[in-house]
Amino acid sequence: MGTETPMVKVEHLYKEFDTETKVLKDINLTVNKNEVIAILGPSGTGKSTLLRCLNYLTVPTKGIIEIGGLRVDAEKHTKKEVIELRKHSSMVFQGYNLFKNKTALENVMEALIQVQKKPKAEAEKISLDLLKRVGMLERKDFYPSKLSGGQQQRVGIARALAVNPNVLLFDEPTSALDPELVGEVLNTIKSLAEEGTTMLLVTHEIGFAREVATRVLFMDGGRIAADGTPEEIIDHPENERVRQFLNFIKK
Amino acid sequence: MFKISYFMEILPIIGSKVNVTFELTIVSTIFALLVGVVVAIISYYKVGGFYQLTRVYVSIMRGTPIVAQLYFFYYGLALYSAMIRNMTPLIAVSVVMSLNMGAFMSESIRGALLSVDEGQKEAAYSLGMTNFQLITRIIIPQAVRVALPPIFNDVINLIKTTSLAFMLGVPDIMGAAKIEGAKTFRYFEIYAAVMLIYWVIIFVLGILHKLLEKKCASMY
Ligand SMILES: Nc1ncnc2c1ncn2[C@@H]1O[C@H](COP(=O)(O)OP(=O)(O)O)[C@@H](O)[C@H]1O
Ligand SMILES: [Mg+2]
Repeated sequence: MGTETPMVKVEHLYKEFDTETKVLKDINLTVNKNEVIAILGPSGTGKSTLLRCLNYLTVPTKGIIEIGGLRVDAEKHTKKEVIELRKHSSMVFQGYNLFKNKTALENVMEALIQVQKKPKAEAEKISLDLLKRVGMLERKDFYPSKLSGGQQQRVGIARALAVNPNVLLFDEPTSALDPELVGEVLNTIKSLAEEGTTMLLVTHEIGFAREVATRVLFMDGGRIAADGTPEEIIDHPENERVRQFLNFIKK
Repeated sequence: MFKISYFMEILPIIGSKVNVTFELTIVSTIFALLVGVVVAIISYYKVGGFYQLTRVYVSIMRGTPIVAQLYFFYYGLALYSAMIRNMTPLIAVSVVMSLNMGAFMSESIRGALLSVDEGQKEAAYSLGMTNFQLITRIIIPQAVRVALPPIFNDVINLIKTTSLAFMLGVPDIMGAAKIEGAKTFRYFEIYAAVMLIYWVIIFVLGILHKLLEKKCASMY
């Protein structure tokens, strides 16, 4: 680890869908380079909303998001800033969300060519390397409809890696998978963690979080209720809500 | 009794009018597509003001018989519009059929646009793609695949619908049949010929429709 370069900074972030639904309440968070942060918590506590605010798929009500040095203030953001901000992160979705009209390779190449304006040959080379890394090289010319959930998600990870993001956002990447396919995706994520990829990972796989995370956040009621090392949060939880949650998950 | 010789004699006479049917169909299809795309986009984005208007338009076009629409336009509206009065029957029918089919096609196109799920759009945005890139690279290619078969089906229906054009005096297949009928009163052979001609056209297009459907379904 050593150097502590902040990759992501969240300051006083609030999200209200309407006056009744206050989902995020004053979130403050700094993510340093190479950190792998697992976000745990009961459903409906705003974990997805927090991730989605980071790339403005959900527009925050107020607060500041800073990724890779680019600061965006929710109360006076512009379209252009949002697009720039999005170029600093990428997301892996629960439902994979691959482009259905594109092959695995084309899915990975898309942003390299369209967003980063790389020449096709270079984009293809980068994409092939990434597909190899996630073990999907043999299926590079398959359309998503011809791939299993686990394979689609690995392509989704390659697509997210392609843009060389400051931080990789995972929103329950294995929740939609059949149990026998969870392993291949978790292994892929684990190898990224070992290579020092900066990640925010919402997951219900407590064992996995314990193993790969360098830090664990516990969210409850729209706030970060606990923040610490995996040992602190998962092995020796002090917070009563965390204990309840872990007991509940274990069943 | 059915007279084969008369049937064979009348068949090419009536058949020679298919070009009118095709002309009407092709022109109406082109304008219906234009109308359909514009209306579908307004509905898809719920463009303020226009959205309600297009809903009413689609509802009227789909909820009333096309014969009524033809008469309303050519005899009704014409009372108040010199432009309509000056139209040839062929143009008047083309206008009504374009507007009518445009309403049906707009629904096919709107459905196709809506078939592209929110998840793919979010994926595109999350990668920093612009709205324009999303539309041209993801939404339209997928929507075309979904919309083509139903639109082709709309065109097949349009061919049958053009048989109403003779009511405004367009000399198409039905018009030719009417003229022949007035001369010989041999309606049995005449309308058998009419049906055979339509049936062959629709049958061939039906096969093409199946092929198109298959192709679209297996594209990716
Ligand atoms: N688009 C939305 N409109 C209204 N409420 C929403 C929307 N998205 C999420 N919510 C609400 O915000 C809360 C947090 O949701 P979410 O962030 O998905 O929780 P989690 O990911 O922790 O399960 C939930 O109560 C949910 O109903
Ligand atoms: Mg969630």
